[in-house]
Amino acid sequence: MFESFQHLATGFGIATTIQNLLYCLIGAIVGTLVGVLPGLGPIAGIALLIPATFGLNPTSAIIMLAGIYYGAMYGGSTTSILLNVPGETASVITCIDGYQMAQKGRAGPALAMCAIGSFIAGSIGIFGLVFLAPPLAEAALAFGPPEYFSLMVFAFIVLSNVTGTSLVKSLMMAVIGLIIGTIGLDPVTGDARFTFGSIPLLSGIEFVAVAIGLFGIGEVLTNVNQPLEMLEQKVLIPRLRELYPSFQDLKRSIGAILRGAGIGFGVGLVPGPAPVIATYASYMTERKISKHPEEFGKGAIEGVAGPESANNSACQSAFIPLFVLGIPFAPPTAILLGALLIHGVSPGPLMISNHPQLFWGVIASMYIGNFILLILNLPFVPLFANILRIPKKILLPLVILFCITGMFTVNNSVFDIWIMLLFGGLGFLMRKWAFEGAPLLLALVLGPKLEVAFRQSLMISHGNFGVFINRPISMAFLIGMLLFLILPIFWKLFKKTEKGGGGSSKQ
Amino acid sequence: MKKDEWIGGIVIFLFGAITALLSLKMPIGTFRMAGTGMFPLCLGILLMILSGIFVLNIFSKGKKNRVKKGSSIESSSPIQSVLFLVTMVLITLLFNPLGYPLSAFLLMAVLLRVLGAKKWTTTLPLSFVTAAICYFLFVQWLKIPLPKGWIGL
Repeated sequence: MFESFQHLATGFGIATTIQNLLYCLIGAIVGTLVGVLPGLGPIAGIALLIPATFGLNPTSAIIMLAGIYYGAMYGGSTTSILLNVPGETASVITCIDGYQMAQKGRAGPALAMCAIGSFIAGSIGIFGLVFLAPPLAEAALAFGPPEYFSLMVFAFIVLSNVTGTSLVKSLMMAVIGLIIGTIGLDPVTGDARFTFGSIPLLSGIEFVAVAIGLFGIGEVLTNVNQPLEMLEQKVLIPRLRELYPSFQDLKRSIGAILRGAGIGFGVGLVPGPAPVIATYASYMTERKISKHPEEFGKGAIEGVAGPESANNSACQSAFIPLFVLGIPFAPPTAILLGALLIHGVSPGPLMISNHPQLFWGVIASMYIGNFILLILNLPFVPLFANILRIPKKILLPLVILFCITGMFTVNNSVFDIWIMLLFGGLGFLMRKWAFEGAPLLLALVLGPKLEVAFRQSLMISHGNFGVFINRPISMAFLIGMLLFLILPIFWKLFKKTEKGGGGSSKQ
Repeated sequence: MKKDEWIGGIVIFLFGAITALLSLKMPIGTFRMAGTGMFPLCLGILLMILSGIFVLNIFSKGKKNRVKKGSSIESSSPIQSVLFLVTMVLITLLFNPLGYPLSAFLLMAVLLRVLGAKKWTTTLPLSFVTAAICYFLFVQWLKIPLPKGWIGL
């Protein structure tokens, strides 16, 4: 424990250099803007900013990109409260009570409580990250290719199960992502696959192009298709003196904030869209234990403080599987994995020992980033909310221009823009047919790792598939995966029989 | 599920089939020593199975699906999305010959018009200012080597 404090102190030394503080501030501001703007989520935000980090050292780059991630989580609540339009998916639940509070003239306390709750929960999340990551990294050293394979399959199944409306549809997206990931050179033999003689395809499909295409261009194409007046509503911007919550508000919220932080931290360690699940879980918990459940949905401050805290805590703990196992459990951390790889850092159990400056520097910067966000989000909320006044018909072409510019700068290649446009069109069709993009992106990033783990496992076992169930850790992941698949079916059957039983007894 | 989702299912099934067919042209090897085509072949077959289940599921629940209404995307015309995409394709084609500043200006001007900006007196200055800001931000300040085109900027 003492060792972790020592390392953290070193991390603060790295994070508080003028350069890193500046990048942390830029990340936090850009993240808040990304969160505030409906339609631009943290995935598109991080993907767009990756090219801007090429000239930086890996530590500064990841400090900035991580800042965008948790900054977007802070900013996402602003539109939920002021407009009833979630800035990103994790803020959907904040609309319920946040918008009701705004309608009653209490937008200020709602926004302030979001910022305070996010700060407290984010700090608790980072605290957990500091003390859990090193022992988990040591435990992960026992992982071989079969364990990694089973863990990645487990992650796909869980993510597919909790995103979208249908498990089969999400699994299809994951398999498509894996197939796209096989384009380029075979990671074991070095032979070309699905390149059709194209030289740019030899290095595979650029994941940034897929991310910006699916989540940036796809979102814009969906938005332009909707009536313009849908997002051009009047924005009620609170004044600075209206922002501060009363003592009663703080008293009512503190329990919700702490519970939200705990729920968020636990959920962040599990594969899936952690912030989204964490906000739902926190909201349900608060409503269940509240002495005034009837106030929920009509402007209960706990319904804003709890989910927003859970959201930010989940963001911080989502860094644990990324840093410790090298396996992102959610799309934004998948993008961060891609960014780490671009900067020559391969996350995994050895990351803490091989890149201590980066690991502890990034963690320390998260504390600083949370503090910056608290400062930004309390007095400057009216300023950020003013961005919502930019007409959509100016904003959408601007996003397209940034997407094209950002995409070109990754490899100075027009080919990447074509790939981005292809996936932009695909993203639009996927939204039309209600297919989820998240499993595809995660699978694309993890695909090569999964293939190598699969082939190495079979090489070790001389082609025997028993290797995946003979090793206890691997078997545990596979059992977990089966439970995740089977339990919902049993639950449905149980509910059906219960309904049937209830019905017959009535007759 | 929406009524035309099955089209997506069929497209995905075909994608899986093509992947499997192309993989068969590569060395497959054995499970002990998997060849280049083994992994994509398994994925292609898996995708065909999943999309097959998906399409069958839609048809088996056909009656229910027809009752449900489509989303707002379905109900409105996708003409603006198509115009946006066509504009982006054209600008990408002209990206190198025109250069970045001119491409950015044209992209903004056309997209603003597509989204309903009626007066050229607002569209042109707005596009010019945006292109100029982007040029100074990316080319002059961040020193990103973007195409100069025939105007040489």
